[in-house]
Formats: sequence, C-alpha cells, structure tokens
Amino acid sequence: MSKAATAQPQMGIGADEVAVLADFSQAFATTLDINQTVRQAVEQIAAHMNAEAAALFLVDGSKGELVCRACFGPVDVTGIRIPGGRGIVGRSIKHNKVQLVQNVETDADHAGDVGGFVTRSILCAPLTSGSGAIGALQVLNKRGGDFFNDHDRDILRLLAVPTTLALSNARLAQELMEQERIRREFQLARQMQKELLPTREKNCPVIGINLPAREISGDFYDHYTLPDGRIAFCVGDVSGKGMDAALLMVRASSLLRWAGKEGTPPDRWLKRVNEEICTTVTGGRFVCVLAGYYDPVSGMLDWSNGGLPPLLLRNRAGVFREVIADGPPLGILSGINYPSNRAFLGNGSAYVFSDGATDVRGPEREPIGVGGFRSLIETVVELSPRARLRGLVSQLRRMKLADDTTLMLIEQINDQPQYLGGISIACDVECLRLVRQMVNRQLSDLTVPAEVRQQIVLAIDEATANVIRHAYHGDASGRMSLDIWREGNNLQFVLRDWAEPVESDAIKPRDLDQCRPGGLGINLIDMVMDEWGFEQPEEGKGNILRMVKSLELEAPAEVAAEPA
Amino acid sequence: MAEVNNCETAEQKGFQVVQVQGEVDLSWSQKLRKAVLDALAKGQPVAVDLSRVTYIDSSGIAALVEGFQSARGKSQHFSLVAVSQPVIAVLELARLDRVFPIFPTLDEAAQS
Repeated sequence: MSKAATAQPQMGIGADEVAVLADFSQAFATTLDINQTVRQAVEQIAAHMNAEAAALFLVDGSKGELVCRACFGPVDVTGIRIPGGRGIVGRSIKHNKVQLVQNVETDADHAGDVGGFVTRSILCAPLTSGSGAIGALQVLNKRGGDFFNDHDRDILRLLAVPTTLALSNARLAQELMEQERIRREFQLARQMQKELLPTREKNCPVIGINLPAREISGDFYDHYTLPDGRIAFCVGDVSGKGMDAALLMVRASSLLRWAGKEGTPPDRWLKRVNEEICTTVTGGRFVCVLAGYYDPVSGMLDWSNGGLPPLLLRNRAGVFREVIADGPPLGILSGINYPSNRAFLGNGSAYVFSDGATDVRGPEREPIGVGGFRSLIETVVELSPRARLRGLVSQLRRMKLADDTTLMLIEQINDQPQYLGGISIACDVECLRLVRQMVNRQLSDLTVPAEVRQQIVLAIDEATANVIRHAYHGDASGRMSLDIWREGNNLQFVLRDWAEPVESDAIKPRDLDQCRPGGLGINLIDMVMDEWGFEQPEEGKGNILRMVKSLELEAPAEVAAEPA
Repeated sequence: MAEVNNCETAEQKGFQVVQVQGEVDLSWSQKLRKAVLDALAKGQPVAVDLSRVTYIDSSGIAALVEGFQSARGKSQHFSLVAVSQPVIAVLELARLDRVFPIFPTLDEAAQS
C-alpha cells in the first residue's frame, strides 16, 4: 500500500488556518506594495503547508502564457514562463480546478523540473475571479516525504481566495491609474489644441467656435489679419478621432498657417499644404479644409474648398447660396489643383462648418444635413454674429452631437455695440430692487412693451439673486455689476461677479413638470432670454453671465439706420 | 405709488387670508413663506390674496409652491385669489398657472 493511501486526512479548518487566513487578508487589505505582499504570502503558504517550495503563477493577458510572479524554495523560478495550458499548473487554470498529484512521474502533464529541484508531488489551486481563472497557487513536495491530502487541498483553496481578491484589486488600481494618466494626457492635449485656436478679437468680422465630441478634437479653425488688411481664415476636419487624428490636426493647422501667411491665392495655398500632407500622412488619414481670405474693405471673399461641406452664403434678404467643395480632401492625392471661388459678401454672411454641424440628428434621428443647418441659421439670424454662433451651438448641443463640430461666421461688423448703462451693487438682497429699477428704466427708454419689460426685469432679478445666493453664498462683502449693451436689435445684459468660479456646466433649467419649490430661476432666465451663458473673465476671478434678448427696437438716435 | 412690502393674515369667511402687497423678492420672500405656513398650521382653508403684488420672483413663487404642497398633503384648501397681472405672468412663465387653484375672489374660492 502506498504512503499516500495510508495518509490520514485531517478534516475541517482549525484555529491555525483561521489565523493564517486572517493574517493573509489583513496583509492584502493594507498593502501598498502588492509584489512584496505576494512574495511574503507565498513564503507563508509554503511554511504553513509544510511544503518545500511554493509559487504563484499568473496568466499573462497578452499571450495567455503563465508567468511566475513569486516563489519560495531552493530554486528561484520568478519570471519563468510556461505556455498556456501546459503543466499541472496550466491544467489547474484551464479547468479552473484544484489539482492534487501525489506522484508527478505518473502525470503526463508534468512539465519537468528546473535548476536541479526534484518535484515529487504538487498541489495546485486556481485563482478564480469573476472573469475566470487569473492564475494559480502551487505548493511542491510535502516535507519529510509526506503527501498533500484533502485537508491541504481545502486550505490552499481557502488561501487562494484573498490572494485572488488582492491581485484583482491591484490590477483594478493599476488600470485606474492608467486611465487617470491617459485622462491627464488627453486634458493636456486638449489644452494645447485650444491654445492653437485664434484668440478672440473685438469686432473681427471672422469668428469661429470649436466643439470637440471627445476630450480632443480633430477639427480646427484659424484666422489672422495679413499686412494688406485681408483676413486669412480656414476650417479643417481631420478624418478619424482620438490622439492620432489630433496630432494630424496640429500638423495640418500649423502647415495651413505657415502656407497662408504670405497671402498665397487659396487654390495654391491648399495645393501647397496638400503636397506636404501627402508626403507625410499614411494609414488612409486625410484632412478636409476650406481656406480663404476676406477683404473687409471690398467685401470680397475668396476661398478654396477641399472636402469640407459647402460654404453657405446668405444675403440680407435671406437668400442662401450653397457653394459645394471643388476638390478632394487634403492628403489623398498629390499633384492635384484646387479651384478658387470668389463671392461678394457685402453686408451678407458666410457660414463655414465641418460635417459635425450637419451630421447631428434631428427629431427623426436622421442627420439634419445642410438644409437642416440652414433652418437652424434662420432661427438665430436676428442675433449679433457672436450671439448667433452661440445660438447655433446651443441648438446643436440640444440635438445629439456625434462628431467634432466647428462653425465659422464671416460677416462685416456694422453695428458697434452701444453702451446703455449699468449698475454696481453690493451683494445684498436689498439691492435687488435697485437693479430692477435700473433695468426697467433702460427698457422704458427703448420703448420696450410693458409685458416684455416685466419678463426681462424678472430674468435679470433671478440672475442677480442667484449670484447673491449661489456664487457669494450670501457674503455681503461681495460685489457685482450689471452692464447693458445694445448691438443692433439685441440687448446684452452682462452680469459680472468676483466670486469663486461656478460650475457653469451644471447650471441648467430643470424639468418644469416637476412641481417643487426652488430651482425656477434658471428656467425663467432660459425662457425669457434668447441666449445666455457663462464666461470666464479675461482678468481676475469671478464669473460673467451674458444674457441676450433680441427685440424689435427702434433705431438708436446716435447711430444712423442702415440704408436699405 | 409703490406698495410697501408686507403680508398680513386675517380670518375672513372661514378662511385664513394671507394678504400680500408690494414686490416679493429674495429680500423678504421668507416672510411670505412663514406667513403661508403659519396660516396653514391653523388648520383652516387658506387663501393668498395677491391683488396688491406688483412683482414676484422665483423665491416668492417657491413660497407659494411650498404652501400648496403642504396643504395638499393634509387635504387642506389652499388657493390664490385676486392674482395681479404681474404675478399671473410669472406663474404662466413657470407653467404653474394650471397647478395652483386660482380664483378671482375669496367668495369664489369659498364656493369651490
């Protein structure tokens, strides 16, 4: 009769095992160094199970190989690799079952010995997580020529549990750290992209806005004034998304700026950049670009379009003209020519946009297309150029933005903003009445009808009260100012405070179908104003809430009405 | 001439009537809230007379909503009576004009 057969199984879990299990769990729960803890755990397992050697193998995710992460015994096998499924340890993982082999010579799966260590018997328990076996714990050769028994098997299974949990947690923590690192890198990339966009210039006839669909954008726009007074502009859309698209975006925007600085005609401008991109871009990437010049003196617009949606011209009478792309996107075919387009913009408007603006989904879940985008423009035509772009952005955001979106508007600035008046008050609820009186007086002077006046006064009052309550939290030492500007038929109410910046993304109208006290103020502002939004002050801390109301106003006395 | 901001409660025709006047804004809407809740605490039907209110903001509306919800929880009568045009305009904006029971007079509230 073999010695194995005569070995007396010890059934049940004793106080020693409970103590070891508690030590294990404690060590794993508190460790800051999972590798060191695993090494100590393997040593403890060997000692407790009276084994000559012990090892912990993990499945290497990329190749499915088994790699020894920690071991204890006369031969160090840390780092050794075994093909997936091979050996008794491989079998344990493959079948997700404990393997108890009293004599390895009789087991065909035994992979052989390493470094002169002679294996007689193996007990191997899989480390089983929710997604299957992630590795295995094994002990080799019971000391004193004894054999592992069913009790040992139960103990090893028991010890495998906290080990698995600790390893899973460590992997999760590592993944989270990796995600955080990637998030930070994307944030940095986004910041760098933002810095590539042109700075806002007062009264510039070319304005743009970029809405990335993800952290970073494949879209870009640029504009700058040439020495001869013309304004060079471009809008680009790189194929694909993610970091590689973003890097191509950076390259394309730099090339476009470099090639457009000399005022090269738009066709040659695009041709030059196309040649550069064709020599360096691989992997089927390409860039759609519309680039050109606007001459504010003559009102002429010159441009070339390589693959971007049509340029939309809209005259003051409301007639649209779509000018479709003349050439393919850049980076596909070298040696091609891009035709130039020319139009007299006069007092009309030109809209340039990436396909993100036309690919948004309408109520029928179909892309709205150029026609849909034209309809959106019609809803905001009465607003000033910047308010119009903001209005378009608000509407696009209400639909589902699936792609990076860039909008550019080119329009001669005719109406200089006219300052109507303002008030500076302390952060005191008693001052609300003063603000209402001032706004009411200004609106009366403009002969705004009483009903509309009431609504505007209410919206401004709500905004002012919100600053007192939510920005300053009632701190009476705070100050704020309200300034009123007129731009054509638009009234702009600019509420400035010097409190901590608010989380503007979190400030949204609530569902009015829920009847509850509080939270109505933003709804009232949203319903009364045509546009509203928060901006960061260019200097100093605080918040700027800009609210725009479009009205049928009489022509101001000091500014001549535009000739018909 | 502008009304002085004030609210007073008196018993009329079996109602606790909260008479409000002036411009209800953040500076004293808490006073209105307290007056409404105190009136409801007496257990009688409550009517808020808004005929002399020349302005109301969302904090004033919130005080009325709280009163309405409190009364509804106790199956107590709560209504707005003689609501001035500026108040109606705000209730309409907030889509609350169909939520509150609104009556032209206290008599009509009593008959409801």
